[in-house]
Amino acid sequence: MTDVVALFWIFLKAAALSIGGQGALPLLRQDLVATGILTEHQVLEALAIGRVTPGPTGLFVVSLGYFAAGWLGAAIATLAASLPPLSMVALAGVIRRQLLTAWAAGVVRGVVLATSGLVIATSITLLAPDRAVLAVPFWQVLVALAAAAVFVHGKTHPGLVLVAGAILGVLLGR
Amino acid sequence: MSSTRPSLRDLARAWIVVSTQSVGGGPSTLFLMRREIVNRRGWVSTRQFLEDYALAKMSLGINLVALAGLVGLRTAGLAGVLVSVAVLLVPAAAITVMLTAGYVLVRDEPFVRAALTGIAPAAAGMTAGMGFTFIQQSVRRGWPALLDWGFASATFAAGLALGATPVVVIAVGIAVGGLLLRGQSSRASGDPAS
Repeated sequence: MTDVVALFWIFLKAAALSIGGQGALPLLRQDLVATGILTEHQVLEALAIGRVTPGPTGLFVVSLGYFAAGWLGAAIATLAASLPPLSMVALAGVIRRQLLTAWAAGVVRGVVLATSGLVIATSITLLAPDRAVLAVPFWQVLVALAAAAVFVHGKTHPGLVLVAGAILGVLLGR
Repeated sequence: MSSTRPSLRDLARAWIVVSTQSVGGGPSTLFLMRREIVNRRGWVSTRQFLEDYALAKMSLGINLVALAGLVGLRTAGLAGVLVSVAVLLVPAAAITVMLTAGYVLVRDEPFVRAALTGIAPAAAGMTAGMGFTFIQQSVRRGWPALLDWGFASATFAAGLALGATPVVVIAVGIAVGGLLLRGQSSRASGDPAS
């Protein structure tokens, strides 16, 4: 059983050092996969589940918590995800105007651009561990590219993209 | 715009709609938040909602959790913060964990394993697409966009080719952002939930 205190710290750190739910992904991959708590495939499974469940983006951490330590792990992940956003509520109560300055916007932009670049890199790494992209079946690369394009286009429900992927998996992945 | 202060029970009712019906992630959740809080119940004005959204986009962690907290603070004080965040998160998290537990029961079935060989790249692709979308939404207008895209590309390369530590890259992002990336986003003034 994974140490629950350590697990809470991993989820809290990931949420506290990122902006946006998906921004926590690179940190979580580093702390959960590199340490052997989860596999890269489990992270992808959690991302897929997070795409079809309700609520804000970022609740894939609940699935990660469940994979790591069952129901307690899921509860820990949920609690950890709820705490850093509350710091903004506290800050907004004190320095709301200062937070809406160009300098603050620049800091946020820097973090968002940095984590977004890392998120894209992490997505590739999850699909191709050790950056062995050539070892990934060509049809899976096409599925990933098509899913990315469909998501950016923004007109198709993520659940439909996953269903299409599942059908292709059944047809081509045996 | 009504100035009625909602009871905590009414606030919880609004958030549970958002928490349980907003399948598909951020845009869907944001749309429902605005519909329930601004349009249907009139607890905050559009201007107030957009100001809170601008602050929430700067928040650590899940932005829409911060937005729920800010709206809760505005409408019902500290208790409103706790109710809003809890009722936004807990039902959605409960559904997520039940779905995960159900999935664990069947994931070793041959049919499911085969399906996963297609679901995994689709999930990876959508995650990469989301990263790309965040960059699109963050870059500035005009020539500064080149700098913004260049910085995002550099962090991508650092993550993929060099295996850079995320904490270090984020620290660089804070420094570079504060020094070089100031100003409004290309879509910052747009209405995100219309």
